[in-house]
Amino acid sequence: MEAHAATVEHAHGPPEAHQSSRIDRQTLGILLFIVSEVMLFGAFFASYFFLRVVANVGPWPPEGFDLPTAVAGVNTAILISSSFTVHYALVSIQRGNRRGLIAGLGATWLLGFTFLFIQFNEYVHIGFSARNGAFGTIFYGLTGLHGAHVTVGLILLAMANIRAWRGHFTSEPKKHLGVEVPGIYWHFVDVMWIIVFTTVYIL
Amino acid sequence: MVAALKRPGLGRAALGGLLGFGFGYGLVVVLRLISGLPATQTAQTGYPQLIVGMITAAFGFLIGLGAFDYWFRWAAGAPTYPAELEHKAHGAHSWRDYFKFNTDHKVIGIQYICTTFVFFFIGGAMAMIMRTELAQPGTQIVEPGTFNSLFSAHAAIMIFVFVIPVFAGIANYVLPLMIGAPDMAFPRLNALSFWMLPIAGLLFVGSFLAPGGGFDAGWTGYAPLSTGAPLGQSFFNLGVQFAGASSVATALNFLVTIITMRAPGMNFWRLPLLVWANLSTSLLVVAATPFIAGVQFMVLFDRLLHTNFFQELNGGDVLSYQHIFWFYSHPAVYIMMLPGFGIVSEVISTHARKPIFGYRLMALALIGIIVLSYTVWAHHMFVSGMFAWLRIPMMITTLLIAVPTGIKIFSWLATLFGSKLHLRSTAMLFALGFIVTFTIGGISGVMLGMVPIDIHVSDTYFIVAHIHFVLFGGSVFTIFAGIYHWFPKMTGRMYDERLGRVHFWLTLVGMLGTFVPMHWIGMEGMPRRVADYSAQFGDWNLLISCFSFLLGAAQLIFLYNMIVSWKWGPLAGDNPWRARTIEWLVSSPPPIFNFDQIPRVVGGPYEYGVPGARHAILGPAEAEVGAAEPAVAGSAGTGPT
Ligand code: HEM
Ligand SMILES: [Cu+2]
Repeated sequence: MEAHAATVEHAHGPPEAHQSSRIDRQTLGILLFIVSEVMLFGAFFASYFFLRVVANVGPWPPEGFDLPTAVAGVNTAILISSSFTVHYALVSIQRGNRRGLIAGLGATWLLGFTFLFIQFNEYVHIGFSARNGAFGTIFYGLTGLHGAHVTVGLILLAMANIRAWRGHFTSEPKKHLGVEVPGIYWHFVDVMWIIVFTTVYIL
Repeated sequence: MVAALKRPGLGRAALGGLLGFGFGYGLVVVLRLISGLPATQTAQTGYPQLIVGMITAAFGFLIGLGAFDYWFRWAAGAPTYPAELEHKAHGAHSWRDYFKFNTDHKVIGIQYICTTFVFFFIGGAMAMIMRTELAQPGTQIVEPGTFNSLFSAHAAIMIFVFVIPVFAGIANYVLPLMIGAPDMAFPRLNALSFWMLPIAGLLFVGSFLAPGGGFDAGWTGYAPLSTGAPLGQSFFNLGVQFAGASSVATALNFLVTIITMRAPGMNFWRLPLLVWANLSTSLLVVAATPFIAGVQFMVLFDRLLHTNFFQELNGGDVLSYQHIFWFYSHPAVYIMMLPGFGIVSEVISTHARKPIFGYRLMALALIGIIVLSYTVWAHHMFVSGMFAWLRIPMMITTLLIAVPTGIKIFSWLATLFGSKLHLRSTAMLFALGFIVTFTIGGISGVMLGMVPIDIHVSDTYFIVAHIHFVLFGGSVFTIFAGIYHWFPKMTGRMYDERLGRVHFWLTLVGMLGTFVPMHWIGMEGMPRRVADYSAQFGDWNLLISCFSFLLGAAQLIFLYNMIVSWKWGPLAGDNPWRARTIEWLVSSPPPIFNFDQIPRVVGGPYEYGVPGARHAILGPAEAEVGAAEPAVAGSAGTGPT
């Protein structure tokens, strides 16, 4: 331990790490995180496969399970449009347009929240629960897992919103990672929804 | 007192845990009352108020510890500053700093290693109890039900809170140094990953206190055994989630660190093999661990919310548990082995003073193993009643894995060939022992990969023999090799080499005596996971138990050696093994920020005996170096990402 004490000098900080790749840490980090998220969804899709293809006899969805595909379709459109708004926010701040940034992020948040609200409403009126057969289970399993991700995305975007209002982001390359990184995550949430929607509601 | 509870630390963490528990418990009670249900629910598989309470308690604990202080500031839009400058939270100035939320990778490495070894000894004690029970047929000291909980907890602890994280701990300490980085890419995430581990471990150990006893469905937790089991099973489900989240976060951290923070000149073909090993392990963790998280969530939902993922009567599919579980857990056996391969490569090359034979092939074999390991999961399910057509493809891929694994074994042997072997350094002894015992385990693995043999020995002691040859003879031996090898670097002191050798030989003898006979009684048909057995196996089991006590006792020598040497051992110097990799170029223990200046890498890591060869240069540019090799900047980042 003495050796430690001897070397402790607060005078200087750590040396700057050598940047050995073109990609920056935060972006690579969120991409890898998305890989593991995709695999988490993969586990639930695997379960979907077993429940529908291996275990199920008879029609799918079974008698008596009606999905409001039209409403969910509108909801899908809402979520997809939020991908464009978050992209607009990023492009705005890259051009130094703070108003565009704030408008874009705010719109994204509201669209995401609307999506969640409509989905919650759908749960209330859908007429079956997660306890009703394999279909109920996997319907709530997949859409619920996705809903949890939308919630996380909204939390991240809320932080980005706060910091955008406070003017923490500028157009310099590394000074708007706080918009870029949640944005990447948000795109992932959107793409994932398209897959979940197609699987659960359409196929 | 009040001030102590306001400062981030263990005190505030304990308070946070309590408040968190109260919050979660209260939340469930309130929600239940609102929906017109009785306030609490204590059906066998239920207890939602306790489960939610435990989850929120864990978060309360982490918040209290200060794990989220920075992120809270960030979220609120307040000014933030990098962790390295928070003097209190970076680097160890006294032993107390090891009990705090600390962002220094070296402190975190030590925290990991010490914590995981605590769990190693707890899990080991459980094994000793089991061997006492099994010394004779009939009931000795524990009831069959308790025995079931013991072997389940033993395996869960050893796998999830010892082997997997101790490798993360060793790599945490040495990997940033090896690649010439001042720290990990995300120091706060790194600290958070560590602090999720004790939570997982406490859940596994604490399950014994749950009404109905500890979880008893094995470390595999197959449905429907697990979906109908008492409360203790939920402790397992939650513990796996915390351990899993911890290893995903660490793996992500390693990947980003290795890809973006290598010193100038450290291109992918100059990475020490330990770094390669952790690169490939981390790829496995990031892409496979979510599967076990997913499947444990499903079990939890089936238990708590009465969903039907695995409820055959309501349209669920019970076998899907095994498919999803093994799709993680076969890759997981390589998560438990590949970092060990890396350690052994370092140890053998350094102590034999020879370049690694076939360095590039060694790295490529790792990649081969991780790709193949996704294609073999159903070899654990040959007798489960799964699709019959899947058996032969799984058998073929399983046998194929022996090829890259064999490449590694032969490379180590070729590295050793012609070197002056002296059996004095404990690290080298463990590495050599590893080659022998792991090869035996690999051979029994290939036998198990063949469907007819597997059907014969499924669920017998042959499996127990196999997993212990690969996990004890494989993983644990490499862990010991790594600990002895880097002990001087981590503590600045030398351990007692004589005691180390005694530890090795007793461990080897105890290990062989314990697990070799298990092959035999397994072939004869003694089932695994039982507290009692037919009298014909009595003699063998007595012998096994005796050797296992020897094995257990030998570990106490290790413990003694480590503790005493850490405090009183002779000073080790910077580079007692005359090794080449960068961690040996700095002081022991290394300075708080690792380097004053990022080193420059000018050659391969293992060029022992090559005249004039250098791996890396520390400090200000020397004239002779300028000509040696142009520093590879920017362009080095285009490796296998
Ligand atoms: C050449 C390499 C290997 C092959 C071919 C192989 C093959 C197998 C097979 C076929 C089984 C299934 C036996 C059964 O349940 O009927 C098995 C079980 C097992 N293997 Fe391996 N294995 C290899 C290496 C490893 C390694 C490196 C580890 C860990 C470090 C490992 C850990 C395990 C464990 C823990 C089990 C038992 C799982 C349980 O509890 O049911 N194996 N192995
Ligand atoms: Cu396997």
